[in-house]
Amino acid sequence: MLPNRSRLSVLVFLLPPLLLYGVAVLFPIMQSLFLSFFSWNGISDMEFVGLANYVRMLTADDIFWRSFFNALGYLAICLVLQLGGALLVASLLTSMSRGRELIKTLYLLPAVISTVAIAFLFVRIYSVEPVGLLNQLLHWIGLGALERPWLSDINTVLTAVSAPEGWRFTGLYMLIIYAALLSVPKELEEAARLDGASRWQLFTKIRFPHIMPVWITTTIMATTYGLRGFDIPYLMTNGGPGQSSELLTTYMYKTAFISTDFGYASTIAVFIVVECLVAVGLILFMLKRKADA
Amino acid sequence: MTAPAAPVTRPVTAPPESRPPLRRRRPPSLHGTLSRVIIALIVIVQVYPLAWLFITSLRTEHDFATGDPFALPKAVTFENYARAFETGNLGMNILNSFIVTMGANVLIVLLGMMAAYALQVLGFRFSKFVRSLFLIGIIVPVQIALVPLFIDYASINLLDTYPSMIIPLAGFALPMSIYLFCSFFEYIPRETYEAASLDGAGPYRIFGLITLPLSVNTVVTVVLVNSIFIWNDFIFANTFVLSEELKTIPLGLQNYIGAMGKTDWTATFAAVCVTITPLLLVFLVLNKAMIQGLESGASKG
Repeated sequence: MLPNRSRLSVLVFLLPPLLLYGVAVLFPIMQSLFLSFFSWNGISDMEFVGLANYVRMLTADDIFWRSFFNALGYLAICLVLQLGGALLVASLLTSMSRGRELIKTLYLLPAVISTVAIAFLFVRIYSVEPVGLLNQLLHWIGLGALERPWLSDINTVLTAVSAPEGWRFTGLYMLIIYAALLSVPKELEEAARLDGASRWQLFTKIRFPHIMPVWITTTIMATTYGLRGFDIPYLMTNGGPGQSSELLTTYMYKTAFISTDFGYASTIAVFIVVECLVAVGLILFMLKRKADA
Repeated sequence: MTAPAAPVTRPVTAPPESRPPLRRRRPPSLHGTLSRVIIALIVIVQVYPLAWLFITSLRTEHDFATGDPFALPKAVTFENYARAFETGNLGMNILNSFIVTMGANVLIVLLGMMAAYALQVLGFRFSKFVRSLFLIGIIVPVQIALVPLFIDYASINLLDTYPSMIIPLAGFALPMSIYLFCSFFEYIPRETYEAASLDGAGPYRIFGLITLPLSVNTVVTVVLVNSIFIWNDFIFANTFVLSEELKTIPLGLQNYIGAMGKTDWTATFAAVCVTITPLLLVFLVLNKAMIQGLESGASKG
C-alpha cells in the first residue's frame, strides 16, 4: 500500500473503470439472467414465466439440442487444429536455428484478419463453380471423387465451417506454447539426453510435463473461445443448410434478433455461459486428477 | 471480440530468443530435415490462402471465372480495386473503424491503468474481490451482453451510435488489460514510490509522474493486442449499428455483396485486401511487441 494514499484516492481510480465494466459487462449478465425467466418480444408487456423457458429449452426444443451437439463438434475440430497444430509447430520450432521469428510472424498472420474477410475467403476456397482451391487440389491429387460443394452438403458443412476458426488461431496458441517450451530448463533436457532418452521420451517425460500449466491455460482459452464461436459459421452458412451447422450462439442470435424472442434467447445465452463454466471446471478437474494419479 | 485470456497458471518467463538450438552431433539429421519440411508445409497452409486472396484481387473477371485457381493471373489488373472503391463505402468504413478503435483504446488504456493502479499500487481491503469481479469478464462470452445491451441502448436511444460499439468493446477488453497493467506494475520497485511519498507526492502525482511515464511500453502492447480484436469486431457492430454511415470495415465488407446484387468476387477480394492492409502493416512493423503481448497476456493471466 502506498504510504500517503487516502480512501478517496482509491475510489477516484477505481470507480470509473468499475462503472464502464459494470455498464458493459456485469449489469448485462444480471439482466440476461433476469430476462431468462420472462417471455418478451420487446414490444408487448413482459410476462413472468418462471422456469418455463428452461423447461422448453431442455425438453422440447430439438433445434437447441441439435445446435448443442453441433457446437461440441465445432469445438472438437477447433481444438484439434488449434492445440494439436500449435503443439506440433511449437515443438518443431524449438529445434530450428534460423527463421524462427519469420515463421512466428507468418503463422500469426491469419489471427490479424477479420472474421468477415476469412469467411469470404473460405467460401471461395470451398466453392465448386468457379472451382475453388480445395476441389482443385483434390482433383490434382487424384481424389476427384471427393470433390463436392462443401458448404451445402449436410455431411461436410459443420467441418467446413469449423476449419477456418481452427486455422485462424493456431498461430496464437503456438506462440504461447512456444514461449513455454523455451522456458524448459536446458540442464534437464541435457541430463535426460545423456541418460539416453529418445526425442519422444524427452518430449513426454520432460518437456510436456514442464509446460503443463501453460497447456492448461491454452486448453481453457481454446475451449471457451470455441464454445463462443459465432462469426464464421454465421457469415458462411447462417447455420444452414437446415440446421446442420447451427451452433448455440447462432441459434441464440437468431432467436433474439430475427424471432425477437428476447426471453428465450436470454435463456440460451445463460446456457452458453454455464457451458463455458462447466467446460473450464471439467478441464481443471480432469487435469488435477491426472496430476494426482 | 475481446482479447483472449485465461484465468489460471503460474507465470512463464521466456528466456531471450537468442537461445541456441538444441545441439546436434550430425548436422544434416533426418529429424531436422523432416521438421523443416513439416513446418514449411504448415506455414504454406497458413499463408497461402492469404496470398491467394491477394492474387485473386488482381485477376480479370474472365480469368477468375474460367481459370485454374492456383495459376498466376494471365494479366494483372487494378480494375477490381477501382470497382471496389466505386461500389462500396470503403473510405467511410475505414474511418469508422478508426474512430471506434481509437475510442475504445483510449478507454481501455486510461481506465485499465487506473484500475490496475488502485489494485496493485494503492491496494485496499476488497481488492481481491474486485479482481475476481474483473475475472468474470474474461470467462464470460460476449454473447451474454447482446440482448440486454440492445434493450438498454434502445431505451436510452444509444442504438446506432459510436458509443454503442465502443462501450461493450472497451468493457469486455478491460479485464485483460487490467491484468497486463497489474503484472507490469508489480515490477516497479516499492522504493520508488516510498521515496516519492517522502518528498510529499500524493497518489495522484505518483500516478502522473512515475507510473504513467514508466508504462509506455505496456500501453503499446495493450493497444496493439486490443486493436486486432476491436478493428475486426463483427458481432457488436452487426447488432447495434444499422445506418450505412456508421458501418465499420467488417460490416462494410458484408454489405458489399448485397449492394452489388450478385457477388462480384474479384472486387470483393480487392475490398478485403484494402481493408486488411492497415492492420497488417501495423502488425508487420510492430509484430515483436504484439507477439510479446499475446504471449504474456496468456501466461500471466
